[in-house]
Amino acid sequence: MTTAQTAPPVLEAEDVAVHYGGIKAVDGFGLRLPAGKIYGILGPNGSGKSTFLAAVTRLVPLTRGRLLIDGREYHTESPTMLARKGLARTFQTVRLLPELTVLENVQLGADTNASGGRLRSWLGRDKPSEAVEEAIERTGLGDVRSAWPGELSYGMARRVEIARALAARPRLLLLDEPTAGMNHSERQEVSELMRKLRDEGLAQLIVEHDVQMMVDTCDHLVAMNSGTLVAEGSPSEVVSHPAVQEAYLGKRWRSHA
Amino acid sequence: MIWYEANLVLIEATFINFLLALSIQIPLRVGVFSFAGVGSYGIGAYAAAILTIRYDVPAFAAIGAAVVLAAVVGYLFSLVVARLSGLYLAMATVAFVLIISVLAVNGGELTGGAHGLYGALSDLTTGGVIAVCVVVAALLTLTERGPLRRRIEAVREDPELSLSMGIGVVPMRQLAFTVSGALGACAGAMNTLLRTTVSPEELNFHLIVLALTMVVIGGSRSWVGAFIGAVIFTWLPSLLSVVGEWQGVVYGVVVVLAAIFMPTGLVGAAKDLHRRIRGRNRAVPTAPDDVKEEREVFEALSDDSTEGVR
Repeated sequence: MTTAQTAPPVLEAEDVAVHYGGIKAVDGFGLRLPAGKIYGILGPNGSGKSTFLAAVTRLVPLTRGRLLIDGREYHTESPTMLARKGLARTFQTVRLLPELTVLENVQLGADTNASGGRLRSWLGRDKPSEAVEEAIERTGLGDVRSAWPGELSYGMARRVEIARALAARPRLLLLDEPTAGMNHSERQEVSELMRKLRDEGLAQLIVEHDVQMMVDTCDHLVAMNSGTLVAEGSPSEVVSHPAVQEAYLGKRWRSHA
Repeated sequence: MIWYEANLVLIEATFINFLLALSIQIPLRVGVFSFAGVGSYGIGAYAAAILTIRYDVPAFAAIGAAVVLAAVVGYLFSLVVARLSGLYLAMATVAFVLIISVLAVNGGELTGGAHGLYGALSDLTTGGVIAVCVVVAALLTLTERGPLRRRIEAVREDPELSLSMGIGVVPMRQLAFTVSGALGACAGAMNTLLRTTVSPEELNFHLIVLALTMVVIGGSRSWVGAFIGAVIFTWLPSLLSVVGEWQGVVYGVVVVLAAIFMPTGLVGAAKDLHRRIRGRNRAVPTAPDDVKEEREVFEALSDDSTEGVR
């Protein structure tokens, strides 16, 4: 399954471990995400999915392991470098800035890649860039662009999160439960958007526990439980894997106590 | 004109207090609760006095040197407290103020000990003080709009989010300490040159409380708030002189009521009002009805679903 002769994977995680004291949140987990694919990490609550994302984005230090973007190690670099390397993410809870409008929140995403002189990207009154307008249009936020985050429904606020990540024009997008709190039609819209972005070459890593959404959206699934990999493969293979079933339904009852 | 001359001391004090308030407000805007600006006020006051009395340096050079010195000290202090946050950081900045005042008392001939320094005569005018404040306000306006404002908001509200978006939180905080040092020193230096004296007693707890109150009541997000706070708390004591011995009580009640009913300060309260009026005139398009229904069901099922949006 390696692609050693061709381009290296956009994101590669090797034997990643994150321990908090005695708690092994992630313990020897890895994956290789090629360009233009959607990979999904499936797992019940507390399985270490979000901690893994935090490790990938350098918000928590690694206890062990290696992280590479385009074949280059980055797990010793500052988290602020990742935005410049083309990595953008959304968070499990909605994290919009309450004192900025929807438009300004999305603009913040584009600020890292702002063109022009460094000083000009820091000062002055700026018109929303093309990337910002495109992100707003693609996520269907045109009507609420001047609203405040507090005025939005949960699903709408989630879209702003996605728009903010897209405004950075990333090459690698990490989504932590992107459709939590959305209804069926909203989920489908988001899923459709992700697939469209994939076809344009954007690599995406989704963490989610909505199995149906993952099967519909992802090219490849990795199942996680107790911080380790339990199964990997095509979505249909992974969801029918006994270990995954067990993780979701609990350990099978055994007669000898 | 008669009014202006009769109240010249208060008018000057307003602008000095404005700069002092800013030295507290700048760190607050990036989410740091720091009183170090009051210590910088002391550094500026003594530096300007020493340069003027001993070396006969012109006013603006003395102020400039005091500002640069306090900015450097502010930056170095930010390195020392880099690992602290919240309450512990606030305590460390109070300690910083205390250290400066102890140094002033024990500085021997250089600082004049407990009596302080006298006779710092200069050609600094009220117009000069106002000009400095105008320049400072103009520069700060640039930080209250566009990309820089967005970055500052992000660093204050959500440091982790800022990091993941490539915004350096630590450099922003160091910059805030540096600018706070410069502004505090500017206030202290100009005050010394206007009053011609400085003593360690000026760096007391009252000055810390005054600086904080001005920002809390005026508003902590914009220089306008600091200015309004400076006007109110420079003039309030003299206006309250009509109530005689009850002055302290009325002052306290005003502060408590303002803190309760306007937690975001006068500027914040005005902004909220504007937002509410705008919101009433403009219906925010929300999700269609079926979406709403599902959302209600979802919210009923899940306790934490509404917590994400603040």
